[in-house]
Amino acid sequence: MMAKQTISLTVNAQSAVVEVEPGKTLLRVLREDMGLTSAKEGCGQGDCGSCVVVMDDESVNSCLVLAAQAQGSQVVTLEGLEQNGQLHPLQEHFAKEWGFQCGYCTSGMLMSCYDLLNHNSQPSREEITEAISGNLCRCTNYRAIIDAVEIAAAELHKSEQD
Amino acid sequence: MYGNEYIAPKDIGEALDVLERHPNAKIIAGGTDLLVQMRHRMIEPELIVDVGRLPFDSILVDHEKVTIGSGVSHAQIGNSDLLQEHFPILVQASQLVGGPSIRNRSTLGGNLMNASPAADTIPPLLAYDAEVVIAGKNGSRTLPLSQFYTGYRQTKLAAGEILEAVQLPLPSASTTAHFIKHGNRRSLYIAVLNVAVRISLSASGAVENSRIALGCVGPTVFLAKAAEAQLQGKLIDEPTILAAAQCAEEESTPISDLRASGDYRSNIVAVLVRRALTEAAGELLGKGH
Repeated sequence: MMAKQTISLTVNAQSAVVEVEPGKTLLRVLREDMGLTSAKEGCGQGDCGSCVVVMDDESVNSCLVLAAQAQGSQVVTLEGLEQNGQLHPLQEHFAKEWGFQCGYCTSGMLMSCYDLLNHNSQPSREEITEAISGNLCRCTNYRAIIDAVEIAAAELHKSEQD
Repeated sequence: MYGNEYIAPKDIGEALDVLERHPNAKIIAGGTDLLVQMRHRMIEPELIVDVGRLPFDSILVDHEKVTIGSGVSHAQIGNSDLLQEHFPILVQASQLVGGPSIRNRSTLGGNLMNASPAADTIPPLLAYDAEVVIAGKNGSRTLPLSQFYTGYRQTKLAAGEILEAVQLPLPSASTTAHFIKHGNRRSLYIAVLNVAVRISLSASGAVENSRIALGCVGPTVFLAKAAEAQLQGKLIDEPTILAAAQCAEEESTPISDLRASGDYRSNIVAVLVRRALTEAAGELLGKGH
């Protein structure tokens, strides 16, 4: 017998209330109950990073968080990066630098990089590499991803100083 | 997804009450091990008790010890200047757990209670003479971590108890430690072998105290006591280090698994213990001993 639980959380700056089965993961609630399908299930056990979202200002594997554990938290998914029809510089430069091919890992990659830039506005290539070390890409190349993050970071840093 | 009930107690009293009523409940903290085990149906708990809202998330220091709450994440440990100053190999090991988004969620208490022989933080904690603080209905009790594990994934935590914190005595200035996590990748890997050593020297330069903790070469992480005895009272030179490394290999009982064969692990134990002791000895010499 499973009693549903009511969870309130903020997703992409909008408050939401969802009824969930207690054992349902945050990933499945985002995808199935909220229609936010950017985060993907790859391995389902924390090895691939395609489910990464930002929760309370930290990157997390949403397949390894119960929705009930997200009670009261602030979640940002890839859908929340675009502002007023404008792509986030990370998204823009992933596209320009060919930082993706099939796209399956891209959402998780972007969210890991978004979390990085929130805490470190001028990361070195080593720091970018470390930040995406929990995100597997099997078809494009990591160098293009790292290039894209470097360019986006420089652009964001410049616009903050202007 | 998982057929179970969930409760997040607001304080320790409520948590202990729930656990008393539901002795088969499973505790969740970060969830990075538990949800994987549930996904593979290795465990199917009826009730999940989330300890994430309990006040176990701080790192406190007094004149003789540091207390790390069981809910402190590996990311918090990895970023702690206080821990870096006194317990650098615990910080190093924490930075090697999973990847960044795992470390944001996974907790020190979770790493200890998952009780894997490949747990990254247990060898450094054993090397630093850690004690575990366990909360129960009759108050808290403290136990040396070296006595906590009773077999493969078995601990002395009784039903109804919660791991509350880990305490580490502040090491003396003449102490140095070295940790090696040996594996097949640079991130998101489970160790093939973990080695943590700590050495303190007396004023004469002889080994006063040593710890050699080994992971992945037995049913639990353990202290290689015969290897430690080889070092006791001796000057830490190459023959002494080789003798200790040989003992460590003899004390190991590795199995073969998908990460490495038992034979390989046996060989690499002696190599990595020698390397860790040599590095630690070099650091002590650098400190002027």
